[in-house]
Amino acid sequence: MLDAFIEGLFLVLQWKAFSLMLVGMGLGFCVGLLPGIGGAATLALMIPFVFKMAPAEAFAFLLGMHSVAATTGDITSILFGVPGEGLSAATVVDGYPMAKNGEAGRALGAALMSSLVGALIGAVALALAIPIVRPLVLTFGSPELFLLSMIGIACITSLSGLSVRGQIRGFAMGLLGLLLSTIGQERQSGSLRFDMGLLYLWEGLDLVPVLVGIFAIPELVDLAVRGTSIAGDRPAENLSRGVVEGIKDTFRHFWLVFRCSAVGVFVGIMPGAGGGVAQWMAYAHAVQSAKDAKDRERFGKGDVRGVLGPGAANNSKEGGDLVPTIAFGVPGSGAMAILLGGFMIMGLVPGPDMLSKHLAVTYSMVWTLVIANIITVVLSLAVLNQLAKVTYIRGGLIIPFVLLLVFVGSYTANGHIADLIVTFCFGVLGYLMVLWGWPRPPLVLGLVLGKLVETYLFISVARYGFAWLAHPIVVVLILLMVFVIVYPFVREKPAWAGGGD
Amino acid sequence: MKSKGHLYFSAFLILVSGYAILAASRWSFKTGFFPLAIAIPLLLLVLLHLYLEFFRAPEVSKGPAVDADFSGDVDENVARRRIITIFSWIAGFILAVYLIGFPSTVPLFMFFYLKFQSEASWFQSLALTAITWVLFHLLFQKLVHIQFEDGAIQNWLGM
Repeated sequence: MLDAFIEGLFLVLQWKAFSLMLVGMGLGFCVGLLPGIGGAATLALMIPFVFKMAPAEAFAFLLGMHSVAATTGDITSILFGVPGEGLSAATVVDGYPMAKNGEAGRALGAALMSSLVGALIGAVALALAIPIVRPLVLTFGSPELFLLSMIGIACITSLSGLSVRGQIRGFAMGLLGLLLSTIGQERQSGSLRFDMGLLYLWEGLDLVPVLVGIFAIPELVDLAVRGTSIAGDRPAENLSRGVVEGIKDTFRHFWLVFRCSAVGVFVGIMPGAGGGVAQWMAYAHAVQSAKDAKDRERFGKGDVRGVLGPGAANNSKEGGDLVPTIAFGVPGSGAMAILLGGFMIMGLVPGPDMLSKHLAVTYSMVWTLVIANIITVVLSLAVLNQLAKVTYIRGGLIIPFVLLLVFVGSYTANGHIADLIVTFCFGVLGYLMVLWGWPRPPLVLGLVLGKLVETYLFISVARYGFAWLAHPIVVVLILLMVFVIVYPFVREKPAWAGGGD
Repeated sequence: MKSKGHLYFSAFLILVSGYAILAASRWSFKTGFFPLAIAIPLLLLVLLHLYLEFFRAPEVSKGPAVDADFSGDVDENVARRRIITIFSWIAGFILAVYLIGFPSTVPLFMFFYLKFQSEASWFQSLALTAITWVLFHLLFQKLVHIQFEDGAIQNWLGM
């Protein structure tokens, strides 16, 4: 095993594999910065280029690109409030307010360093978990995955305010997200729901136009209203010190980064749990880790812990995602499903062979994740100071450029003008939600997880009737969900006990 | 303001959930069960929220803990005018994409926004427009190969 581990390293360090990894990283860096064009879409575009490559070269190229896209997606989230990828939306919530507070350098430093730590933990988890993960994955059937998705939604809705009314708004938005996910063809019978006679809605609402609309447009409107730069009139931070401060923050809150990375690995390992939930669960965990109500109120206004948690989980889940893909041929996400296509092209069959005959190739993937992330973070840190200066450019010069990114990004979803209209509508909705204090994250998470929740619920009921509610793991997960909902109330009792609610 | 906002937003949610309940109740059990299981609690939660908002004491804990907030240091009238302006630009952008397609809209929108909205100099406007157009062409058309549809005018003229 140790031989294979070392051989895997040498496979990646061969000049051809290493050069291809660098090319992939360059592509991933550009793509990560472009909103809407996620790592999965780029993998799909690049798959045809791997036909003539050796397995280790192909995976160095593809994984190098994919892991970097996940890291750099955080950059636009922080600088402009535009999620670079659907999944990096949780970084916007505290990352962009930090940029508005003149702490863009610190936020970027924290995001990149926590991403690196998360990626390393994910890679270690991948290396360690492959031989032992089988029983865990097989224990989680549809009922357990349904509850896991519900916990993801409960985590974020339970943080929507400490009053009863705040909680109600959070849950209402989670339900609205779930309801929006039912638009289009119902998967089991093929019947159309809420399609309003529009062919565009048959496939349901695509996540990208909704996400960039609901998060980016309100921030652009706010920037236009203020009429200043993103950082406003705040004195320019010492940018290089800001980046170093962000790196230090990662180690100051290392235990939080570690826990959030573990959340990412766990969600990644669960095939079909959906990577989107990892970032939000990590964010929710970071908020719940706050010392008291006063400490918690800093989240959403630019708290570095709100950047560290999602940053770590976003990258650690990549390692986790690879576990079921390699070990069982069961992709944990869309990107992994495309990577599975790469396995087929290489003539590799995921499963026991990858853990015996091709173990060196498997470990070369682990090394690719490690090396690609280290190089990206080191190179990015060198240019972060320049990137952070963007937040001091006059808003009027930034707005048209970011608007273009937003709309081109959303157009890539279906290549239809309706994508732009959906972006606009959700932009208006997002603006009103922020203005009137209705939280956006639960809506997004409901929309992300809605189809999974319905499918798992349907399979659970069809397969077990209602007996699945008595499965031991289901019972534990239900209790965990109740705990997640009740815990903030119990801990903050004095804050709301005497209130009007 | 927030209270009024809650009223408007609740009314919107009541309309959405009410429509969902009416529509889903006409579908087969398999198709309608999940939307009904969501829309009914949504309606009940919104009604409960409205009741608390208007018949109970004001809310103690303010604001959502997991979302951003807008900066509120701009005069209300100025803010309203700027909001209408930016949304008009966005709507104009979408209309232009519909009429003349993405590749033609990008340079036009950039130039007009920079020159007339941001009041940038001629040099700045032209230079930034050119840079954006080149980046757009290289990244989205050459590298990622996104197929941008022609606008309605090009289609109408058979171009």
